[in-house]
Amino acid sequence: MTTAHPRARILIGKPGLDGHDRGAKYIVHILRDAGYEVVYTGIRRSPEQIVEAAIQEDVAAIGLSLLSGAHNELFRQVIDLLKARGAEDILVFGGGIIPASDIPGLHEMGMAAVFTPGSSAKEIIATVDRLLSVRQEV
Amino acid sequence: MNEDIVHLVCDVRQNPAENTRAAARLMSLLENHPARITELYAGLADWPEPLMVLGITGPPGAGKSTLVDQLIELYRKRHPLRRLGVIAVDPSSHASKGSVMGDRVRMMRHATDPHVFVRSLAARGHLGGLALGVRGVLRVMGLMQCELILIETVGVGQSEMEVAEFADMVAIVLAPGQGDGIQLLKSGLMETGDVFVVNKADRDGANQLQSQLLTTLNLRASVADAGAPPPVCMTSALGGDGMDGFLDLLEDHCARSADQWLTQRKQRFEQEVEQAVLQEAHRRLADMLRTSGIGSEGITRVLRGETTVNELATVLLQLGARGKPPYNEGHVDERRP
Ligand SMILES: Nc1nc2c(ncn2[C@@H]2O[C@H](COP(=O)(O)OP(=O)(O)OP(=O)(O)O)[C@@H](O)[C@H]2O)c(=O)[nH]1
Ligand SMILES: [Mg+2]
Repeated sequence: MTTAHPRARILIGKPGLDGHDRGAKYIVHILRDAGYEVVYTGIRRSPEQIVEAAIQEDVAAIGLSLLSGAHNELFRQVIDLLKARGAEDILVFGGGIIPASDIPGLHEMGMAAVFTPGSSAKEIIATVDRLLSVRQEV
Repeated sequence: MNEDIVHLVCDVRQNPAENTRAAARLMSLLENHPARITELYAGLADWPEPLMVLGITGPPGAGKSTLVDQLIELYRKRHPLRRLGVIAVDPSSHASKGSVMGDRVRMMRHATDPHVFVRSLAARGHLGGLALGVRGVLRVMGLMQCELILIETVGVGQSEMEVAEFADMVAIVLAPGQGDGIQLLKSGLMETGDVFVVNKADRDGANQLQSQLLTTLNLRASVADAGAPPPVCMTSALGGDGMDGFLDLLEDHCARSADQWLTQRKQRFEQEVEQAVLQEAHRRLADMLRTSGIGSEGITRVLRGETTVNELATVLLQLGARGKPPYNEGHVDERRP
């Protein structure tokens, strides 16, 4: 299949200590409205919990939402854990209050996309669609 | 990773703890191609069987996921070596076909427990609301040697009836302050329950709901002459009160009914295979009808009165019996990077 799977599964996780889940829930809903099956895992999850859940749920992508500023550290942990579990084919994208100067580094560590408060819903969906369309689903 | 069902099954069976990824892939494969479940039938007779498959249903927000979380916690404490599976079903949006699956939020403390496997499923517009994928996930969890499997579904329509077809027993979870209690007690929900839970016992109205429920269940039992009414538990899943009593009750039930459940599951497997065979036969015959000319010509002749439906069916079956090559299922590519 070469187009985005119409019901690709995505897990949304909030690592770190901030308890503001409005952004995460917003992403959950726009993805749902775009036809994705979205597993939401709630606030303050460890990278281990997020990765394990993503594997059990067999999602195509993980979306990480983070406002605490610890994105460099926590995003990297998720990516490293996926590698360690042999699941590096699961894409990781992230969003939050992320300084523009951090973005190149995040891409370099393997983040498939990084969104900021300025990203529109349309833009986010278009990016996720594009990222997942090159990935083949069973 | 090898996407071949037989290989995945081998991996999962040999070492469920090391092969969670293979188990998860197998579940997706069966969810996306439900017909491929027939590939599992060979050898299914000696697959490991869970001790209990429990359906948990009830109105939205009654506390089902919280209750599941506490059950996991308690069951793991009581049986540290046993594996446990949870299937959490959520509705799909009619408009977008997408879905928000949020039950897992309440169970995340078990995410890294290697003895617990949680899988969320979207109903995908399947008639009745229960996901088509449940059957496959259930099989794979059996293969992983899960001893207890919990299936959470929202009981608003038909799904609670359907969950009874997969589960050995069904628990109905109710909570005070959930709209019109009486209306609920009259609904189809009441007929599916093997055990009832009044959750949020810490809230006002819990005792009242319990007594209404008992009255309804007693009345029904006496009218239907169906023996003792189903038991009612009071829980406060949020704090954990009443959980021990609830699990005691489930385990008692399990000890008493294990043999009967095994027989019942075997009958269901047999029915399932029968259905699959009939479906396959129907598909092949339909194909032959379309391609052999019997169809268009024959149908015209029936309408002219030159032959009958019965005769035509006989011709078709004879043609089928002469053995056309097996119908090619035409699987789409199962490739994956
Ligand atoms: N006071 C009180 N609140 C509870 C109890 N159990 C659950 N809740 C709360 O009820 C709300 C819904 O709980 P869930 O466990 O998500 O309910 P659910 O039935 O799984 O909900 P859906 O899956 O959305 O249908 C949450 O805010 C829980 O914290 C309880 O025993 N007492
Ligand atoms: Mg729930």
